[in-house]
Amino acid sequence: MNKKILGVFLLAVITVSSAWAQGRKGLRINEVLVTNEENFQDDYGCQSAWIEIFNTTFGSVDVRSCYLTNDKNNPRKYPIPKGDVLTEIPPRQHLLFWADDMPNRGTFHVNFKLDPEKDNWIGLYDANGRDLIDSVTVPAGIPADHSYARVEDGVGQWVIKGDKGSGYVTPSTNNVTLDKNEKIEMFETHDPFGVGMSVLAMLIVFTGLLLLYLLFRGIGQISVLVKKRNAMRVHGISDKDEAREKGLGRESGEIYAAIAMALYQHLEVHDVEDTILTINKVKKAYSPWNSKIYSLREVPNKK
Amino acid sequence: MGFIDFLGDNLVQFWEYTGFANCTFPHVAMILVGLFFIYLAIKKNFEPMLLVPIGFGILIGNIPFKIDAGLEIGIYEEGSVLNTLYQGVSAGWYPPLVFLGIGAMTDFSSLIANPKLMLVGAAAQFGIFGAYMVALAIGFTPDQAAAIGIIGGADGPTAIFLSSKLAPNLMGAIAVSAYSYMALVPVIQPPIMRLFTTKKERLIRMKPARAVSQNEKIMFPIVGLLLTCFLVPSGLPLLGMLFFGNLLRESGVTSRLAKTASGPMCDIVTILLGMTVGASTQASEFLTPSTLGIFALGFMAFIIASASGVLFVKIFNLVLPKSKKINPLIGNAGVSAVPMSARISNNVGLEYDSTNYLLMHAMGPNVAGVIGSAVAAGVLLGFLS
Repeated sequence: MNKKILGVFLLAVITVSSAWAQGRKGLRINEVLVTNEENFQDDYGCQSAWIEIFNTTFGSVDVRSCYLTNDKNNPRKYPIPKGDVLTEIPPRQHLLFWADDMPNRGTFHVNFKLDPEKDNWIGLYDANGRDLIDSVTVPAGIPADHSYARVEDGVGQWVIKGDKGSGYVTPSTNNVTLDKNEKIEMFETHDPFGVGMSVLAMLIVFTGLLLLYLLFRGIGQISVLVKKRNAMRVHGISDKDEAREKGLGRESGEIYAAIAMALYQHLEVHDVEDTILTINKVKKAYSPWNSKIYSLREVPNKK
Repeated sequence: MGFIDFLGDNLVQFWEYTGFANCTFPHVAMILVGLFFIYLAIKKNFEPMLLVPIGFGILIGNIPFKIDAGLEIGIYEEGSVLNTLYQGVSAGWYPPLVFLGIGAMTDFSSLIANPKLMLVGAAAQFGIFGAYMVALAIGFTPDQAAAIGIIGGADGPTAIFLSSKLAPNLMGAIAVSAYSYMALVPVIQPPIMRLFTTKKERLIRMKPARAVSQNEKIMFPIVGLLLTCFLVPSGLPLLGMLFFGNLLRESGVTSRLAKTASGPMCDIVTILLGMTVGASTQASEFLTPSTLGIFALGFMAFIIASASGVLFVKIFNLVLPKSKKINPLIGNAGVSAVPMSARISNNVGLEYDSTNYLLMHAMGPNVAGVIGSAVAAGVLLGFLS
């Protein structure tokens, strides 16, 4: 018994821990700006390099206890502090860290700087300091106030942003701004009368229920076969044709209902009752909320 | 300021806060609608479990009050009690809970015994897409049209679930429309059934369904879930809960859970769902020209759904052997107003042959309709969300 409980407990722990890990695995380094001259300012009015983390999942993910680093040999360089509610990233949202080597300025100021003269490797490690969640190497020589960013949030290629045509630098906001629902617009353009959608959707509905039909037709046939075999054994019949003629295995529910009713009549309903009459006082649970219950009438029940 | 002036000012201020001072024609109109629903439920016995909570909810939602006073009493005011209860509708978690209850109280035996009736349940979903096309034609956007079309599935929780995702601003009108037409099934469906069937067809006797083993009943929710949700994962909240509830019922080892899911829990959620949906019809949000359009489209969707179920059976009969013909009067039950539309099939059947009971046969397409409309909702959600 104890082993069983222990097994269930271990399974639960594994499930929960894997779910936890799965959430953090959805974090991505999304955009990095190394030389900040006239770009985003922190709460102190300073312009420093910044690193944006994006939560690609559809659930909130807390980055506390994870590590940010620019040193492959020191994965635990900046532990993201516990106890700050702002470390929780809402679904599909961002968090910005300032690479200003001023950790005493708060949770989001890391203890390293980025060097514009050389390639900067940045890594985000899980709370164990071993599992690398995401990393990026920001190439040297990116112009001031230009960022190195993913084309789309959390996925895709990296590009340099900041020039006309290459897209805007977008600290703490989406790299791609969605100002329309593309799916809806596609349907409006390509299927203005809804015929395509209707045909496609009905096809899927029919396919689903057709598959269910085929499957349960097969299961039903197997069930009838098993019942028939059992019935043949009980009736001592070995000839399949005879069994088919007698409809063995295909009895309707009505037959079983009739048998059940006959048994009930035989076993439960008596022509002569035992004539014991017991009168019990109606007991109703007392509570201060219904103390007047004896003087109230029953809830009306319209027949 | 004298004492009398002080009292006078307070009385004036009190008057400004009363419902009488803030009452407008739309409030009165909606209160009358609420009273009409309550009348239908109590006097005509039209789906009282739904129409009493919705009707009373309409009264609650349309008590006039000073909106700009920030009293936190209206259903659309964040922090109000009604708004908190409304979260189950707006966030879409009441409908799956109702589906859990439906699953726990539904016997799928008739469908398992005669699985071809599943196709009738699928055919009735034409109503959804017929209304979708018309809604597009009169200017609704595809997501709004889909939310309106789902009224044709005759499934209140599904309609609420889909509209909360695709067109939250139309949800009140869609929900009230869906539940109203479900309540009016006894009025809407019989003429359509008679119109599309001949007397000879109405007299068709169907073979009694075979007895279904417990193993089959246990396999149904498991296989049903895996198959439908692998095909349409976006239907998972509804289908998952429906099949889960059914497994609780059929497993034979969780009868307490099944009783709770199909009894007290389903009742509690139905009360909250009905009342908050009714209250969401606050006149200022509800009485718009598009509401009338939604009601008209919903009515049309219901008619198409009922007719397509009946017509599909007639077409299906062309390929079935004589001994396995289906009575087309059960085609209307493909809309998933459970068990009302199955009862209508039975009642209309009995009008023409007082010994031809179609109820159990009609339950097949009826519960298939529940699955079909949830799959259709999943498809629409997948395409348009």
